[in-house]
Amino acid sequence: MAILPRIRTTLAYQGRAAMAGVMLIVLVVLGSATVSGFWSLESLRANLLIASFLGIATIGQTLCALVGGLDLSIAFVVGAANIALLRLMDGGIPVGFAIVIVLILAAAVGGLSGVISSNLRGATLVVTLGVGTALLGLVQILVSSSGVSGGTVEGTVPSWMQSLTSLDSPIGIAPCVIVWAVLAISTILFLRRTWIGRGLYAMGGNQVAAERAMIPTRSLWILVFSLSAVMAAVAGMILLGFTGGGYSGVGDPYLFTTIAAVLIGGTSLVGGRGGYGLTVLGVFDLTVLQTILSGFSLSAAAQEAILGLLILPLAALYVRSPHPRMEI
Amino acid sequence: MRASTLSEAVQAKMPERSGVESRYKSMARRQTSLVTPFALFAVLLAISGVRGPALFTANGLDGALIGAAPLVLGTLAITTIAIAGPAGVDLSIGPAMTLINIEIVIELPKIGVTGPVAVFACAIGLGILVQVVIGTIVALFRVSTVVVTLAFYLFLDGLNTVLLPEPAGSAPTWLANWGSESSLLSPVLYVLIGSFVLWALISRTTLFRNVRLMGADARTAFVSGVHLVPTRIGAHVIAGIFVGLASLMYTGLLGSADPTAGSSYTLSAVTALVIGGASLAGGRAKGLGAILGATDIWLISYVLGTFNFGLNASYWIEVATGGVLVVALLVGSFLASEDLVHRWPMRMFPGNRSR
Repeated sequence: MAILPRIRTTLAYQGRAAMAGVMLIVLVVLGSATVSGFWSLESLRANLLIASFLGIATIGQTLCALVGGLDLSIAFVVGAANIALLRLMDGGIPVGFAIVIVLILAAAVGGLSGVISSNLRGATLVVTLGVGTALLGLVQILVSSSGVSGGTVEGTVPSWMQSLTSLDSPIGIAPCVIVWAVLAISTILFLRRTWIGRGLYAMGGNQVAAERAMIPTRSLWILVFSLSAVMAAVAGMILLGFTGGGYSGVGDPYLFTTIAAVLIGGTSLVGGRGGYGLTVLGVFDLTVLQTILSGFSLSAAAQEAILGLLILPLAALYVRSPHPRMEI
Repeated sequence: MRASTLSEAVQAKMPERSGVESRYKSMARRQTSLVTPFALFAVLLAISGVRGPALFTANGLDGALIGAAPLVLGTLAITTIAIAGPAGVDLSIGPAMTLINIEIVIELPKIGVTGPVAVFACAIGLGILVQVVIGTIVALFRVSTVVVTLAFYLFLDGLNTVLLPEPAGSAPTWLANWGSESSLLSPVLYVLIGSFVLWALISRTTLFRNVRLMGADARTAFVSGVHLVPTRIGAHVIAGIFVGLASLMYTGLLGSADPTAGSSYTLSAVTALVIGGASLAGGRAKGLGAILGATDIWLISYVLGTFNFGLNASYWIEVATGGVLVVALLVGSFLASEDLVHRWPMRMFPGNRSR
């Protein structure tokens, strides 16, 4: 008897992957037809690099979605890590040490969101929005010195950080893409092969059942939000190397694109279904879509509007709740 | 008679499903939802009295009125959505207000609509239109309100900048004068009072009672014969009226059109909603709480404005708003802890229940 639901689950999972994959193929065909130089080496490399930023920032969002929460603080943590790291390095703290400080602070802030929202699961979105806003404001106050606003920070970025995102590296692709690949494989293995990863699926599927199965749901919830902030901080620090200067608004695009990537990939926002492999597909979908839209010389604002419209049908497909009559 | 039994049934269901005692407890708890906004209001008024007594002059009060009015009305709008629950946080409110702001200043004069009556009608009509589209998607496809309004935030925010890349234009004179009014007995006050009366009337209708029942427990509402789809769309129609009114106030305050400035109203309005004691699980939120919460937010930025933060002023407002939002959530959950711990994981995502 147990085989039937299993087949259904497998089908649902594969179906989602297939859908995101088909969308990617359609987009790639559309891109090669409309955008000149779509297949050129430079364009592919640049797309991969841009995808890697989004991909790293989306690791946390995928984990949060799997347990049935959403993290709106990612964009703010990206911006905060970006300016904080530059300021710390500028203040004479060794680079490695500064990175460790930023990562620890990010883990603490993410953990704080997790602790607060663990009893307020319905309000996770609002909690993370509040914590994120307060964090970015606070970091900007701390970073700004007399007469200099904290929004943009000047400073020297070490050359190795810049070469992390450099397109003409000896290995052909930007080293940052390899960082993403390593993180992606670790995340997928973490979700599939460790008891914590399986526990996250159990939690997202059914909170009460997970508790009865002795899964420490509260600790895992906090861990997920902590990891999410750490990944956002990693993305923020890598972006520092890419832009070469600190800017608090550097994470703004990630406020919603992380959610869009998770949704397009097919990970359920209500928890329990999906995985990071799907999100990677979603990230590629989004990146190619953005390339195509830029090819039509649409402004960033128009792209944002189209993205918003794109989310709606996907949400209607993937995040529906059952009719009340089914809940008796 | 029937309606009152329904709402009593909702109240009785809230904490536990047993006994008269828990019903009294729940009624006592309902009153506690106003403690936080009132206490904060009193503290902020006291601080304002010390730091910026100019607030209590006729001019100061008038500035406060028009300054706080957009947020007050915007918060009332999303209060209806919060009541309709579950997890009914409307993130699209800021960009929606901006869109109507642009329409009032830029598009409507093009077709010759500048008179008060016509502009009011168009603003409210647009507010209802945006909200009905959102409500229809939420009701028909049963997608979480948060996800739909998130998508609408993106869509409208992008659309606003496409429609109007740079701040431009000027509002019709009668509307622009609202921002520079020097007498307390101004149109702003009348519109505000009119909106409160409207809210009081609407919140006594059967539709609104059904919205409350649906938010508290959609299943109970369904088996009680409430038609969920029209009720939810009705909640969004009510919200749309207040979105329109809020945009009018916002345009009066600004005097022109700005494609991006209004988006920050989302965070402020959600914070005001939470301070006002609204339960994000649905079913419980008060108009008075929303009004107080929004006034609190305005007072916080007023008090912060009396310090000389210079370049950092906007960051301090961010820290204060975000911090107050989180603290208000914690206080709210503390005041209703039984309820939240046991019900929220289930209520937020009904999908969990059936799987």
